[in-house]
Amino acid sequence: MFTSNPFAELSAFLPASAMQIYIVLMIIAVFVGTVADMLHKNSAKYFAQRQKKSQAAATRKLSGGEKASLAIKTIVVEVATAGEFCNVQRRISHLMMFYGFITYLVTTIIMIFAYPTHATPTPAIIPLLWNIGVILLLIGGYWFFFLLRVNVAKDGQPVFRLVMADLFIVTLLGSATFAFAWEIVQASGDLTATKIVFGFYILFTTLLFGSVRWSKLAHMFFKPVVAFQRRVEEASGASSLPSTHNERS
Amino acid sequence: MPTFVYMTNCDGCGECVDICPSDIMHIDPTHRRAYNIEPNFCWECYSCVKACPQNAIDVRGYSDFAPLGHSVRTIRDEEKATIQWKIKFRDGREKNFESPIRTTPWGSIKSASDYEAPGQGDINSQELAHEPAGLNIDELPALTRDQLKQGVM
Repeated sequence: MFTSNPFAELSAFLPASAMQIYIVLMIIAVFVGTVADMLHKNSAKYFAQRQKKSQAAATRKLSGGEKASLAIKTIVVEVATAGEFCNVQRRISHLMMFYGFITYLVTTIIMIFAYPTHATPTPAIIPLLWNIGVILLLIGGYWFFFLLRVNVAKDGQPVFRLVMADLFIVTLLGSATFAFAWEIVQASGDLTATKIVFGFYILFTTLLFGSVRWSKLAHMFFKPVVAFQRRVEEASGASSLPSTHNERS
Repeated sequence: MPTFVYMTNCDGCGECVDICPSDIMHIDPTHRRAYNIEPNFCWECYSCVKACPQNAIDVRGYSDFAPLGHSVRTIRDEEKATIQWKIKFRDGREKNFESPIRTTPWGSIKSASDYEAPGQGDINSQELAHEPAGLNIDELPALTRDQLKQGVM
């Protein structure tokens, strides 16, 4: 079960092109949502203002090599290893969700576009990676949802009192949970149950990618840019924090 | 001079929520980031500013008290056991200070939760919770009966 392509089985009731069109629509939804989010929050404008201020406050100019080195540090520390998290449990959970989501997303796209039906046999490694991605996402996600959400862990709110900030994690967990459930139900051979669970999978996935304007999915794109800017400010002397701290970091 | 949070720097760890003595640092339901829910009740103790691992909390001076363009930033350095301050004046001058805050390593003091919970029998004891071990002594000094002033018979 874990080494067979679940999307190839869909050809029993859905043409392969339908899922391919769906993926394209979701990519467009993420792009439109990210742009709408940026316009609504004026984040690009405020970021440009911050850059201008920091350039004016800089005590020294950084060379191209220094900037490249800071960019590499940002990719290694903030992006690849979520180094900005001070809480170890949150860092591990975030990394599980991050790598799980990326693996789940990439393998889904590969399976839908390169191996849409049984006519093109799927290498076993791709569905296996898809399953590993989903499982990583589920472990990291439910750990975060039940134990690590700061409004629950520190502010004392009930676990199931959902707020706007939960839109991303709930839709993400919904998508991954129903993807996994759909694969299991599909393997049992019950077509009606498969259609129902697959319907929920599509519903949560559409909510996940269609709600970017209101959820925090777009933080995947903004976070590295802001982290790089912070490093540039510290290195150029534009940071307002005490200098002894900047010398150490 | 209430505190405020730089939302792009905050990672929503909740350290400020734990430490705020006024219980006014809470988590925003839209972005899951910290914010000051009642700036009027902030007594500028700087606890959250120093506890924030991301240095995402700052203190805004009232415009009639602190001129616009100034900046007062602080960092608690747990490794060096110091507090560092950087004061930036409106005319561009800067001053940096560093003060020691303790002589023992960070985390070496036992917190109340590290001690065993008091039992039911301890309610009749004259000692407070974790005494005398919490005071690093074997026994609390006390007057013996013969040292007490005798009343008029």
